[in-house]
Amino acid sequence: MFKDKSTAETLKSTRTYGQFRCPNPTCLDRLVPKPGEKTVKCPKCGTEWRVVWLKPDLPRIRGPVWETNIEIARKKLEEVEKKGG
Amino acid sequence: MALSRRVAYIDLSTGKIETKPIPVEIRKKFLGGRGLDAYLLYNHCPPGVDAFSPENPLIVSAGLLVGTLASATSRTHTMAKSPLTGLLGSCNMGGFFSPELRWAGFDHLVIKGKADKPVYIWIHNGEIEIRDAKNLWGKSVTDAQWAVREELGDPDVKCLVCGPAGEKLVRYANVMTGVKNAGGRTGMGAVMGSKNLKLIAVRGTMDIKIAYPKEALEFNKRFIEQITTAKVNQTMGILGTPFIWGATNSWGGVRVNNFQYNQLLFADDVEPERFHEISNETFGKYHMAGCFACQVHCRARYRIPDGPYKGCYDEGPEYTTQGAFASEVGCTSALTVLTGNYLCNQYGVDWLELGSLISWAMELYEKGILTIKDTGGIDLRFGNDEAVIEMIKHVCERDTWLGDVLAEGGLRAAEIIGKDSEQYLIHVKGMQNLHSDERATPALALNIATASRGSDHLRSRPAIDLYHLPEPVLRKIYSSPIPYDGPLSSDFREYAGKPWQVFWQEQCFMAVDCLGICKYHTTFLGATLPNFEDWPKVIYYNTGLEFTPQELWTIAERCNNMERLFNIREGLTPDDPHKGDILVDRYFNEPAKRGAPDVIGARIDREKFLKMRAEFYRYHGWDEKTGAPTEETLKRLGIDNEPSHLL
Amino acid sequence: MHEKANAKALVINYEKCTGCRLCELVCSVYHNGVSNPAKARIKVEKWEWEGLYIPMSCRQCIDAPCMNVCPVRAISRDEELGRVVVDHNVCIGCRSCVAVCPFGAMGFDPAERKVFKCDLCDGDPQCVRFCDEKAVNYTEVSRESLFRKRDAAEKIAQAHKKSTELISEMLD
Repeated sequence: MFKDKSTAETLKSTRTYGQFRCPNPTCLDRLVPKPGEKTVKCPKCGTEWRVVWLKPDLPRIRGPVWETNIEIARKKLEEVEKKGG
Repeated sequence: MALSRRVAYIDLSTGKIETKPIPVEIRKKFLGGRGLDAYLLYNHCPPGVDAFSPENPLIVSAGLLVGTLASATSRTHTMAKSPLTGLLGSCNMGGFFSPELRWAGFDHLVIKGKADKPVYIWIHNGEIEIRDAKNLWGKSVTDAQWAVREELGDPDVKCLVCGPAGEKLVRYANVMTGVKNAGGRTGMGAVMGSKNLKLIAVRGTMDIKIAYPKEALEFNKRFIEQITTAKVNQTMGILGTPFIWGATNSWGGVRVNNFQYNQLLFADDVEPERFHEISNETFGKYHMAGCFACQVHCRARYRIPDGPYKGCYDEGPEYTTQGAFASEVGCTSALTVLTGNYLCNQYGVDWLELGSLISWAMELYEKGILTIKDTGGIDLRFGNDEAVIEMIKHVCERDTWLGDVLAEGGLRAAEIIGKDSEQYLIHVKGMQNLHSDERATPALALNIATASRGSDHLRSRPAIDLYHLPEPVLRKIYSSPIPYDGPLSSDFREYAGKPWQVFWQEQCFMAVDCLGICKYHTTFLGATLPNFEDWPKVIYYNTGLEFTPQELWTIAERCNNMERLFNIREGLTPDDPHKGDILVDRYFNEPAKRGAPDVIGARIDREKFLKMRAEFYRYHGWDEKTGAPTEETLKRLGIDNEPSHLL
Repeated sequence: MHEKANAKALVINYEKCTGCRLCELVCSVYHNGVSNPAKARIKVEKWEWEGLYIPMSCRQCIDAPCMNVCPVRAISRDEELGRVVVDHNVCIGCRSCVAVCPFGAMGFDPAERKVFKCDLCDGDPQCVRFCDEKAVNYTEVSRESLFRKRDAAEKIAQAHKKSTELISEMLD
């Protein structure tokens, strides 16, 4: 009477452990921190992130490495404001 | 039988109580919970009535699957006309109240009138009694609940309660249950207060017959597995919802200093892991708790580690608490967030609204529109932790000029304060936005602009839009159960395809609210969580009712249109800055200054936004000029004769 | 008449309980086909104002008071599964067993006029099957105290770690 597997259930196979995506919207690629690593740097846009390991295979972004990302943001803001002005 | 639960009409003015069965035909049209509430509200609320008038009905309900085997079947929905917005008032909460309501024999309560002195309603195995609440009035959310248990002599009594903020008619007071489960937004607690109704106590030991118990058990096992193995729910089960704030702040999607920035810098003390540590230290290693029949357990238990409330037990905080008492007000102290969380839970007030209003007042103070005389001597600077805590108390007690003004909600306060104060307000339809900053995310911007209860994320937010999911995955999700072959984009800064996603989420969230299941168990924060194709199975095994995924979609559309009919009747027009589907100007004019490099400079393009909105209306079958459902739409959904007074 | 050495029982680690009461729900659905915690053989007792949740169920006592008090000998031990069982054909519904159980684990269904208690679901307890947190376990009774030992030892281990840190700080 029911289709055996729903779309949600079939999508389960697309779950990826041990990695996450760079939060910068143009960096669609995944960041894969080495097991236990506390920070990870995006090879594409240079942003840097602090990592928390909730489980041995479940890393999550804890927050930005402030100094690195604030500096990148400052430069970008200058650029944008120059263009806008 | 789950379908044998009744609706009760309780008139507090006359003391008259009447109960009726809910016909299966009505179930098939509106399911239950929020959807049937919307039908009852449209039918029982006289047009144009004042929200604090005895004629405004307060509707409390359990969803169709509440108490049954479908995972997290815990949700209580409450509806009335909102004293904050004058439009739809609607809130949803977890905990243990609504299952108990069903075991006591009821699904929907329609409470009208106003008692001449404080009362509470006692519901026990099919019986309803209105009782004197003079010993409960004035008590905090938790004290009132424990006191009524004592009075009734049963520790298993569950309550839906308004706190002191509701009694004082703070226009965004919550209804609550347990220590922290809150039906927040739109001020349903104030409607309780206006009726002199302190709480509803329920206790039930009646069977809810499960249609196919064996199959229900087996399918539920599979359903739970699908839910708990999702990465997002594993994270939530460890860190709770604060992880959402942490993730959003990381790239710059959080309002800071009201709306001046979009990222809270050096926020280490209010990051989710910090709260995790505090819970570990003050409660223990196993500090997460769950609502009824939920295996995600996103609620942390803790004691306040320091300060004047040191040692007080509470649960939370949530991502919205970090938003309210950290980023929006520019504070970076865990203690402020935890203390604010505790005070709001005790007073029974919506911190999304309150945090946003305090941060607005702070910006007015910075601009000189409010002076230290207006604040009653409080130095209302951004980042002043003590000022935030003081303001929470003053608003809930209404004991200073500014506290009393802010208790009226943003638009009324702006009218009293005058000058240019309204232009700094971040609201839609008179409801303050939560802490999120949608300038870089057009989909989320469309969501808050069009949400039926005001600026809100829980009506239609396509949160998975932020995950950069590959297009084929998005297509799989968003083209079922209704085909969609338009554009879809992995980039959250895009405008194309977003109206459909918001439209889809709107039906998804309505369906889950009708069923009484938590949103963390559907396509909200996780792409692989159950939705339309999975629900027919749980509905069938538990109740015996047969639906196709498409039929559930149509029911959700019907219910959303009932809410829309109510809003249109109460004065919604698309471009009205106070009652419309429109963002405040700051979204269009002020670019984002912080966060990930590709978020910097982001703002919403007005023209593109209006195009999105028009497309969104088209999907609904709403007139683009008036925003109202067309005659054809109402006919298609079978609601062209409302109010039809069938219940 | 000796207990089988490997007999299993419900072993409850209350600290892990999240208070969700799914165990109560699945218990009543499995045994009665209904959702009704009043008919569940397990119940989570709560002290909500301090966040304490403690699941309570039958301890399957060896010298069971319910068994001893039963005037018609309707209650006996099933040594195979290490459980105490009620023979409903013999039970007269006097509720003496309900009154005497020190854990409140014997229930009474007024509609059926029958007592009910945990039967370990004939060896596949549903409460255990559905508890993701493993607050309720189905474990050999001989291993019950091992959990507690480990938990208590962990606290000592932590204290030890802290004290060595403190000493090394002092030496600095």
